[in-house]
Amino acid sequence: MQDLLYFFQQLINGLTIGSTYALIAIGYTMVYGIIGMINFAHGEVYMIGAYTALIAITGLATLGIAWLPLVLIVALICAVIVSSSMGWAVERVAYRPVRGRHRLIPLISAIGMSIFLQNYVHLAQGSRNIGFPALIEGGFQFGSEDTFPMSISYIQITIFITTLICMTALSLFISRSRIGRACRAVSQDLGMANLLGIDTNRIISATFVIGAALAAVAGLLLGMYYGSVDPLFGFIAGLKAFTAAVLGGIGSIPGAMLGGLILGVAESMTSGYLSGEYKDVVSFSLLILILLFKPTGLLGKPEVEKI
Amino acid sequence: MKTSVKKLATAVGASVALMAAGQAAAEIKVGIAGPMTGPVAQYGDMQFSGARMAIEQINAAGGVMGEDLVAVEVDDVCDPKQAVTVANRLVNEGVRYVVGHLCSSSTQPASDIYEDEGILMITPASTSPEITERGYELVFRTIGLDSMQGPVAGNYIASQGPERVAIVHDKQQYGEGIATAVRDTLQDAGIEIAMFEGITAGDKDFSSLVTKIKQADVDYVYYGGYHPELGLILRQARQSDVDAKFMGPEGVGNKDINTIAGEAAEGLLVTLPPSFDQKEENQELIAAFDAKGEDPSGPFVLTSYTAVQLIAEGIEAADSKDPFDVAQALRTGSFETPIGTVQYDKAGDMKSFEFVVYEWHSDGSKTPVN
Repeated sequence: MQDLLYFFQQLINGLTIGSTYALIAIGYTMVYGIIGMINFAHGEVYMIGAYTALIAITGLATLGIAWLPLVLIVALICAVIVSSSMGWAVERVAYRPVRGRHRLIPLISAIGMSIFLQNYVHLAQGSRNIGFPALIEGGFQFGSEDTFPMSISYIQITIFITTLICMTALSLFISRSRIGRACRAVSQDLGMANLLGIDTNRIISATFVIGAALAAVAGLLLGMYYGSVDPLFGFIAGLKAFTAAVLGGIGSIPGAMLGGLILGVAESMTSGYLSGEYKDVVSFSLLILILLFKPTGLLGKPEVEKI
Repeated sequence: MKTSVKKLATAVGASVALMAAGQAAAEIKVGIAGPMTGPVAQYGDMQFSGARMAIEQINAAGGVMGEDLVAVEVDDVCDPKQAVTVANRLVNEGVRYVVGHLCSSSTQPASDIYEDEGILMITPASTSPEITERGYELVFRTIGLDSMQGPVAGNYIASQGPERVAIVHDKQQYGEGIATAVRDTLQDAGIEIAMFEGITAGDKDFSSLVTKIKQADVDYVYYGGYHPELGLILRQARQSDVDAKFMGPEGVGNKDINTIAGEAAEGLLVTLPPSFDQKEENQELIAAFDAKGEDPSGPFVLTSYTAVQLIAEGIEAADSKDPFDVAQALRTGSFETPIGTVQYDKAGDMKSFEFVVYEWHSDGSKTPVN
């Protein structure tokens, strides 16, 4: 019984972290699906989302506003607005001028943007870890106190539910809305979509904005869950989310969700049953194995050579 | 032929004399190498604050052999790669004495360069024993060793009679070194080590680790590493109702752990150098820090102050600015400093250095335990 509870506890830990990986991975996978480039600055957009949320929360606290739903909603809106504009600006400044050139050029531009944003936050906010207030505390307990009480905290539940809502909304948006349809068209054939009268520049911008907004949501959630932010934490999270996107099949939105969850669970099971030292070894070995046997990722479609 | 050799020798001799004269007119450069940015920059603040104060006071009192000390400050971000870069920069600047580095993993590679280039280095903070184990002539420290600090922590935990202890470290030279020392002490005391495990510095998610700690049902958790990770572990452990007592080395003992862990930092045990700022004979110096609006209570402020003072007194005792002569003077002499009487053994370690167990509070204050 105790071992079973332990297993479920680790599973919950893994799913929590996995669902936030998925939220960030969406940004990588959508951008790749549409213009075939990897937006390495995406992790930084997520980090800026977390910082914005923190600034908003601190601001509200100094104003004396402590009503939790209001604080959360204001923090979320601020984070989403700032991150989305950041996503939009990054695309305008760093990618649009070099679009259509050799594949390496936007990639290098992306890495440059990532370094720039990291250092910008370094300068603007300092390099120290800043504590993030735990707004949502407490949780449910299962099992007796003297064996192993399994606990699900409210923040973990919040993370699941928010991720679920975001993913459902995104799926509906992509499959039902006009812009969503245009997104799918652009991802199938950018040139052709352009000829048929779709404003592809607008669609590409929209992709960046949507990805950044989801990353901002993840930033707020993870900030509260972990409890601190620093200018470098977008890099590691970005790397993990990118892995999740590749694992699930880059370019595929359900793939990003699946990849994120698998990666999160693999990490927590490794730390839980083996040792935390092997966490990254196992997740990246998993990635290599999947790429060896299914190079397009779990749910990716084989790429048709575009002429 | 003979005369030309003679001429050459004279010319070289003259130019060497000229160079020496040129140097005599110059000031004495002291490199201060530590983290100004990065996750452990607050320790760097302590180091720079202490060293600057010492340089100011020594210059105000007439300098060293009539010359002023000049600080050359460099930022190593506590990153071993960066440490090598800044060490080379200090070499190029013509620095012959260095106060630094801070993190053991930075000090180790940088000290290779200093030893090769004939630069005297005194680290005010690195406690890894390996740094002074290599028979280097020019490497000293004004702090104790993990092999002293580890047993203090281990013996304290053992004295509380726990049944099972978990040990976690950050896989870095400092963290893993001290965690190993604590483990060995506890094993000698016959206490069961339920887990001994590394995490990755910079990680944010410790939910799996915390679950494991909870499952292991331990009384104490010892963490070898720095405060950003321990702060998060404490916070996440409290959220999961882990009731074990946490303990860490001086790398976790600064006020930033409170901003990360909040209430969860209450009751954390930390081994620290004794509070030199509380000592009677240091009050004049403490007042000087207060006048500048700086906080002298950090563990590395006065060790850095002492490092600069030892360089100055070493130069005077040796009556030479050659780092090898200064090193010789440091090994043979006995120096009165704010951290007590300093005497060095052959390796460059202080003959005695004490660590004390403190209990940390959620407002950032600390009280001695034993």
